[in-house]
Amino acid sequence: MSPISRNPIADDGDELHFCSTCAFSAACMEHGFDKSRLNELHVLVAHVGPFAEGEHIFREGDPFEAIAAVRAGTVKTYVTDSEGREQVQGFFLPGEVIGLNAISSSKYPCNAVALDSVMLCRFSFPGIAALAAKLPGLQQHLFRLLSQDIGKAALLAGNYTADERLAAFLVSLSRRYAARGFSPTRFRLTMTRTDIANYLRLASESVSRGFRRLQDLHLVEVDRREIELLDLPKLEAMASSILRS
Amino acid sequence: MATTIAFDAELLGRYDKPGPRYTSYPTAPAFHADFNAAQLRHHALRSNQELIPRPLSIYVHVPFCFSPCFYCGCNRVITRDTSRAAPYLLRLAREIELIAPWYARDREVLQVHLGGGTPNFLKPEQVYELMESLRRNFHLTHLPQRDFSIELDPRFLNVGDIASYAAIGFTRASFGVQDFDPVVQKAVNREQTVEQTLNAITACRDSGFRSVNVDLIYGLPKQNLVGFANSLDTVLDARPDRVAVYGYAHMPQVFKAQTQIKDADLPDAGTKLALLQLAIEKLTAAGYQHIGMDHFALPDDDLSVAQAAGHLHRNFMGYTTHAECDLIGLGVSAISHVGDSFSQNPRELPGWELAIDRGQAPVWRGLELSADDRVRAEVIQQLMCNAAVDIATIERRHDVDFWNYFAASRPRLQELSEDGLVEFSEARIAATSRGRLLLRIIAMCFDNYLDHQNAPAARPRYSRVI
Repeated sequence: MSPISRNPIADDGDELHFCSTCAFSAACMEHGFDKSRLNELHVLVAHVGPFAEGEHIFREGDPFEAIAAVRAGTVKTYVTDSEGREQVQGFFLPGEVIGLNAISSSKYPCNAVALDSVMLCRFSFPGIAALAAKLPGLQQHLFRLLSQDIGKAALLAGNYTADERLAAFLVSLSRRYAARGFSPTRFRLTMTRTDIANYLRLASESVSRGFRRLQDLHLVEVDRREIELLDLPKLEAMASSILRS
Repeated sequence: MATTIAFDAELLGRYDKPGPRYTSYPTAPAFHADFNAAQLRHHALRSNQELIPRPLSIYVHVPFCFSPCFYCGCNRVITRDTSRAAPYLLRLAREIELIAPWYARDREVLQVHLGGGTPNFLKPEQVYELMESLRRNFHLTHLPQRDFSIELDPRFLNVGDIASYAAIGFTRASFGVQDFDPVVQKAVNREQTVEQTLNAITACRDSGFRSVNVDLIYGLPKQNLVGFANSLDTVLDARPDRVAVYGYAHMPQVFKAQTQIKDADLPDAGTKLALLQLAIEKLTAAGYQHIGMDHFALPDDDLSVAQAAGHLHRNFMGYTTHAECDLIGLGVSAISHVGDSFSQNPRELPGWELAIDRGQAPVWRGLELSADDRVRAEVIQQLMCNAAVDIATIERRHDVDFWNYFAASRPRLQELSEDGLVEFSEARIAATSRGRLLLRIIAMCFDNYLDHQNAPAARPRYSRVI
């Protein structure tokens, strides 16, 4: 027996059943569309992966064909500016969808890279769009995903302290893991300190100082890349100005 | 830890078999030559990416000694030619420049240890240069609680230099004594007067060193109870903050210098145990805490304080208060423990020199810890430092069902339990007062690299546990 991995991994679906983390299953099931029905409509393209740590899933400028739901692992999206500096756009956990920001054009507008071993489920975008026209619930779901994707980037644009940014980051991860049935208080951060700093628009040193402060306040306990949220209500209070909803 | 230790010669005699000292798990014999500099660099870069990267601890090995002590199992080069120091230091500076850029600058160095060999083979100006080179390339802490230590050989020490070492930033000095008995000193080729030693200790105190450590060895040739009792009394009068009492590991097949020691001169098992018993009784009577294995410290020393607070850690430098550090080893034969890796520099000077002259980080061998290694390392670490394992902590930190995971260890523990060395329940494993002298034996129950069916006696990789 080996120690259980703390990385959330979806229960694998099969011909008839959705994976437990599927981004679309609830919306489809609501309308009585099970997996075999979706297959008939050629909406499901394929399960793909695993992608290894550091492997690119798509690059900026690649032709856009499909959106993909993360089944396992974490995906980072980023762009590089004119001076070659990386700008992290977001992190995608199991059950979340990458490629949504490409649907207005024929090319991916960013890079997507696996932060650990990543499994995806690719959906034909024309296929799912056509299906959404028939299923109002699925359409709403797609719109919701799209607005979340836009909202994410706007969240951190304000004038917030390092502690507020860190707390908002942790609370957001906690909610997202909880929504997929994983522990909301204990998880492994697969993104590096540099990536977190870049995403939160902070210096690496400030990220570590912030985590140390949160630890000294007994709000979190950090062990290398793992974190336990000891006082979620307090963290939520700290994050409240950023995460208004 | 309790200050009294129940002692049972029959029992200790029965368990006196070879075993690792667990300054690391996996132990050094498990390191393999496939592990290279690129992998060490990978682990170093990765360690910068932890949410709160660990502070750093630096060990620098100075291999030169003026004369060979026959008991020595350390890696050293015997020479009286002090001009050999300069080229060694030049390469050390190169090694520092090669490796330091791998570590994020916000990672403070909390601990520096100069070991050997004989660090005072170097002149104080040279030690200063070495520390400056570390200061330029790493962020050495300015905190008063910093732990910067140096091993000093009183026989070759200019007592006036001790103030210089303090001025360079050292806070702790470690002196080898072994035994003051002149007959023993002659037999091991280390003749060192009481006066030399005590003068050095006094000079350390006067110069503001926070802590002084004295090493003794039991089981040396010609050693007897009367002489060792006198040595202990002399040492205890000087009241060093820490005392280490090592068992002599006679392995002449492995350590060439030890072939100078005649088997016939070695004390028998009974005498050896009596010597250890004597040391423990005298040290505990004098108010020293038994930290674990072979280490004792005054109650107000950092080690005792750290143990009481549960922050004690064991690594290649013995017991330390810096559990949370990544360890960088510099110099010939030095061992590093960075992230989930162990690695060791070439053991011989030419190999180490060649790598550096080619501009490569000198890595001879090492390993990457598996998830299984990490669980076992923590269990062994808890045993060596606290003489106990808190099962809930291990289960929580490693996501294992402890007794299911360690099902194979249970009958081994049961055997030790029947001998009164250990007590265990669903919640906790604890060494008894008798078992505290045999922590290695208890730790061996969890060592996945030992062949538990066939005792490793045939291969002299490990010394006897007593």
